[in-house]
Amino acid sequence: MSVMLLVLLAVRKNYRAYPAFTFYIAMNLTQAALLFVVYRRWGYSSLASWGVAWGSQAATISARAMAVAELCRHCLSRYPGIWALAKRILLLCAGLVLLYSGVAARHRWELALPSAERGLELSIATVIVVLFLFARYYGVRIESADRLLSTGFCLYSCFRALNDTIEDRVLYGYSELWSLLGMLAFFASLSLWSWALRKQVTVASAKESLLPPGVYQSLTPEINVRLRGLNEQLGRLWKPEVTRH
Amino acid sequence: MNFNVILFFGFVAILLLALGWALRRPQRHKRLQTEADSLEDCGQRHITYLPQIRQAFAKSDYEFLSKNAPPDVLRRVRRERRHVAVAYLAALREDFQSLLRTARVIAVLSPELDAIREFERLHLTAKFAWQYEMIRWKLLAGVAPVPQLNGLSDLVSGLSVRMETAMKELGERAAIAAELASSMNRRGLDVS
Repeated sequence: MSVMLLVLLAVRKNYRAYPAFTFYIAMNLTQAALLFVVYRRWGYSSLASWGVAWGSQAATISARAMAVAELCRHCLSRYPGIWALAKRILLLCAGLVLLYSGVAARHRWELALPSAERGLELSIATVIVVLFLFARYYGVRIESADRLLSTGFCLYSCFRALNDTIEDRVLYGYSELWSLLGMLAFFASLSLWSWALRKQVTVASAKESLLPPGVYQSLTPEINVRLRGLNEQLGRLWKPEVTRH
Repeated sequence: MNFNVILFFGFVAILLLALGWALRRPQRHKRLQTEADSLEDCGQRHITYLPQIRQAFAKSDYEFLSKNAPPDVLRRVRRERRHVAVAYLAALREDFQSLLRTARVIAVLSPELDAIREFERLHLTAKFAWQYEMIRWKLLAGVAPVPQLNGLSDLVSGLSVRMETAMKELGERAAIAAELASSMNRRGLDVS
């Protein structure tokens, strides 16, 4: 299915719009092929296999993070003000989630790698959710392809994070079942991505004409003052000295 | 299952709920709109009805009724007063939403944003939404007294003056406003 998606990306020329995403899918295929060779040669429990498996996993997750960053840029970069603010917030969210995951896994060195992976997965999912919330708050419309790709990433990352947590702490030894479930989750995401990229995606035009900076500086404080006034009015509406009618 | 596992599950559940909420289509507040419309008939702002609203909420009016009117009339008056209070709340919310829409469009089309101002607006929005829902549900459930709406005239007149100033300012920027409107259409921003 990954091959099919890669072919779809090439045929529809969507690799131009999503180079990082294309790289991620290619990386995924490469990882699968590499692990197949390595496991056949050295078996599942050798140190070499362990090193290659985790090394390739780190590279794949990094590629996924880059693909998610690309999607964020796709969605918001047309609006420089929003994008500048969103970048900082998204990075902060990702950092906080990583920190939380690190703190939650303290003193469990045998689980360091799965914990790091879980942290990255949670960060990716959080970034996508915050991106959608951001877009909704500002009324920015996200293109259908971007929305589907992001949803696929978010669902897959959520599943991976849960998978890592359960496998390591509760159902250690049931790796076959969890590998199967992980594969199913990946197939579901692949289906979503294939559907999103079934047509050629046009690259959004670069920054369009914007308002002069002075408009924001002069009108926004005034609007905030009025919003505060309405809030105060609402608060006053419910004073304790009201009469019971 | 230890505490951390539960925490992770909770976090992922919250993420998925937030994802679902963010992905759904923006809901138009039809009911609220209808309530607001009852005070905003034919394009007139609710300021037009200020004397009637104040009369309806006057303590003396209620006292007179309680002495002279039968209990069922009193109950009806109480019910109608609650309706007026709820409709007034909806109108207040409409004012708030309208300002928010303007602020968001300006933010989206500005090359630079002030994070503090944006967070302040977010905070005010969350606070307003919370207070609004609390007051509305209490009123509808009848577990709370009907407010006197004493500050109504202050609010409306205060707002009118400030709005007039802002409109004047906006008028001077007619070209910008036109550009703003056309940009909204061009970029397909959801300003509903």
